[in-house]
Amino acid sequence: MSIWKYLFNLEERRNWWTRKMPDGPLRDYYATPFPDREIDWRQADYLAIDFETTGLEASQDQILSVGYATVRGDRLVLGDATHILIRPTVDIPEASAVVHGILDDEAAEAQPLEEVLPVILNALKGKALLAHHAAIEYEFLNHACRNLYGYPFLCPVVDTLALEVRQFRMRDQAIRSGDLRLAKARARYGLPRYPAHNALTDALAAGELFLAQVAYRSSSKPPRLKDLIVVS
Amino acid sequence: MEIELIEIRDFLSAHHPFNQLPEQAINQVPALLQVRYFRRGTTIPDSGSIDDFLYLVRSGAVEIHNTQDELLARLGEGDLFGYRASHMEGHAEFQGTAMEDSLVYLLPAAEVDRFCKEQPQFSYFFEPAGGGRLRDAISNTGEDGSSHLGLMTTQIGDMISRAPISMPPDASIQDTATVMSDERVSSILITEGERLVGIVTDRDLRRRVVAKGLDTSLPISHIMTADPHTLEANNYAFEAMLHMARDNFHHLPILRQGKVAGMLTATDFAERHTTSAVYLVSSVYKQHEVQGLASISSRIPQLLQNLAAADATANSIGHVITAVVDAITVRLLQLAEERFGPPPVPYAWIAAGSQARSEQTAKSDQDNCLVMDDAYDPKAHGEYFKALTGFVCDGLNACGYVYCPGEMMATTDKWRQPLAGWKRYFNHWIEQPEPKALMLTCVFFDLRCIHGEKNLFRQLREYLLAKTRGNQIFLAYMAGNALSFKPPLGFFRNFVLISGGEHDHTFDLKHNGIVPIVDLARVYALAAGSHAINTQDRLKEVASGGEVSHGGAHDLRDALEFVGSLRIRHQARQIKAGEAPNNYMSPDDLSHFERSHLKDAFSVVRTMQNVLSQRYLR
Repeated sequence: MSIWKYLFNLEERRNWWTRKMPDGPLRDYYATPFPDREIDWRQADYLAIDFETTGLEASQDQILSVGYATVRGDRLVLGDATHILIRPTVDIPEASAVVHGILDDEAAEAQPLEEVLPVILNALKGKALLAHHAAIEYEFLNHACRNLYGYPFLCPVVDTLALEVRQFRMRDQAIRSGDLRLAKARARYGLPRYPAHNALTDALAAGELFLAQVAYRSSSKPPRLKDLIVVS
Repeated sequence: MEIELIEIRDFLSAHHPFNQLPEQAINQVPALLQVRYFRRGTTIPDSGSIDDFLYLVRSGAVEIHNTQDELLARLGEGDLFGYRASHMEGHAEFQGTAMEDSLVYLLPAAEVDRFCKEQPQFSYFFEPAGGGRLRDAISNTGEDGSSHLGLMTTQIGDMISRAPISMPPDASIQDTATVMSDERVSSILITEGERLVGIVTDRDLRRRVVAKGLDTSLPISHIMTADPHTLEANNYAFEAMLHMARDNFHHLPILRQGKVAGMLTATDFAERHTTSAVYLVSSVYKQHEVQGLASISSRIPQLLQNLAAADATANSIGHVITAVVDAITVRLLQLAEERFGPPPVPYAWIAAGSQARSEQTAKSDQDNCLVMDDAYDPKAHGEYFKALTGFVCDGLNACGYVYCPGEMMATTDKWRQPLAGWKRYFNHWIEQPEPKALMLTCVFFDLRCIHGEKNLFRQLREYLLAKTRGNQIFLAYMAGNALSFKPPLGFFRNFVLISGGEHDHTFDLKHNGIVPIVDLARVYALAAGSHAINTQDRLKEVASGGEVSHGGAHDLRDALEFVGSLRIRHQARQIKAGEAPNNYMSPDDLSHFERSHLKDAFSVVRTMQNVLSQRYLR
């Protein structure tokens, strides 16, 4: 990442790019302000999102499916829960097909990324991106935007994995291998087990985990959005 | 709906009342939901009114309290509260508290209303009265459509297959026999105009004519059984069965408004798969040894299973099963009198507890006592009655009606007394009630004469009812006693469950469900001076007397029938699986439908217990 993020905050950089950018889905996205960092977390909207991909490297791997749903303040609303399959431009490596269960035949029926990305950006408008290990989703979105529109992707990000790390640090607990996995983190909050590796199920699972994590913050005062987002 | 929301849809469709929705409707639900997480100890809702949403517990546990902070319910996975959730009936103001970290689905009130309007099955769940829903549940349990077999619901008139075959009393024996054989009937009615005067069966022709070489040109009135026992066509089949079983008839003339309507025979029951009860009882009277009776009683579990399969009500099954133990008791007493000679003074053999109430199931012990005429002299007659009662109680034990653990049996000297002694007991219990003693003796407030001098029993009953009727102090003690078993508030983890031991992770249908209702009905009946003994009969009778509201009594009857039929079905399942039947049920064996209606039943009982306590224990 550039040094710009140390010099200008997110909102300033959004304004900067909005002025520079030609019309298109990304500019539409940037036209809506990000949620204010100072507001009570319950006044913000979040988009719980998850991708299934052919691998973990945004620079070389591809998105196969996306699932998302809105967290409106302290509740996950299922009304706009969405799941979309995305057609990859390469064959799906067997190693990843084993994990996400998306096969070439199904993927061939799916929509190309250039049709899906505007839908995702539209859903993200005015919201914080919420995911477990959000760097993956963020980087894949960034790559997609740079490839398709030539400009970077910006968004306030809430990472349930990072929140979980904070919890461990605060309690001065050692993190063992696997402790931060979505299912294991959910179990610590008494959340039910879901079948893993479907983009929408994982998005919902992350959304619920987020609600649990905030409910468990020890401070008596409700946190503000800035207390929950990761620096980006 | 996104395919991935199917996980949520499946959760909904596994739980009542969402499982009542057609597929197309239930598919709409997930997208209408909001998901919230409540940390342990937090209040639900944390803002707004609890009526804004219907809450469905997805995971975790929630307690519901009213504004007086009284615990109303403990809810677990799949349970509902909030808008219109009716187990909170009568508690307009209440709130939930998460007892564990809980994930909760919220359905907006407007959507609940819409589903209620569009889906009647769904709206039943939200009907205000727990009792109303329960009635629906009871009529719903006959799932396989075989309810026409129900003994309680079939009127005798519907069982009579053909018009009555009759002869005038002056017809000759020969002519009568000819008509019987032409019509292929085993019995014939003898009528004068439309009036029934007698009945003749194949057996009569054999025993009274052929065997005696009687002249067949004599009028049939010569050999008929005059003024036979009859029933009205609008009586229920099960009453006919009871009469036939108790008195060992195989033919029963049926009248409709006093006119002959037809003949009901044991065969009519055979066609309805319930033969065993009638034949079991009639074979009881053919036994001369205790072993023979024991082998008959060993078929009771099978009988119970058949009756359950035929969808008989719990109440009628109780009557039928009790009719068998009654017959066995009577037969044992007959055998005892054969062995020890006729009684030196009149006596009445009295059943107490569940046998008296005609509420026995496959698993019952014996409660009985003996009332003797006041001419009883312990020196002269003591040995006789000791031997008689010993024979009968041992016989019952051998038949599987095990000795009463509290020794409430006629073999116990204390419970084998002349009438005056019994009056003394009741006088003491009623005039100087002691809570602990009452708990032990309340079984003696359910009494029924099984055999012997009925008049002794009647005198005792009149005596005690005259003392209890309107006796506020005594009734207050009985009311206190009736509140000693409380139904559980909800099924919640180990809260209501027995933990450890043989019955680990079960709850006790008898003490948690049935006993509280039986106890309530006893108080009502004693307060009203009602002669009824059976709990359903008691509730039916007192409903008009003012001791309890009409609706309350009705709800209790439904609750009893629901819990009773759960117990019967549970025992039938155990018998089928080759296990010994008991009263301990695992919540896992309940369908969601049963679970939510059991809650209704319990809430009815709780409400009525509160009313009783308001009335007597303020």
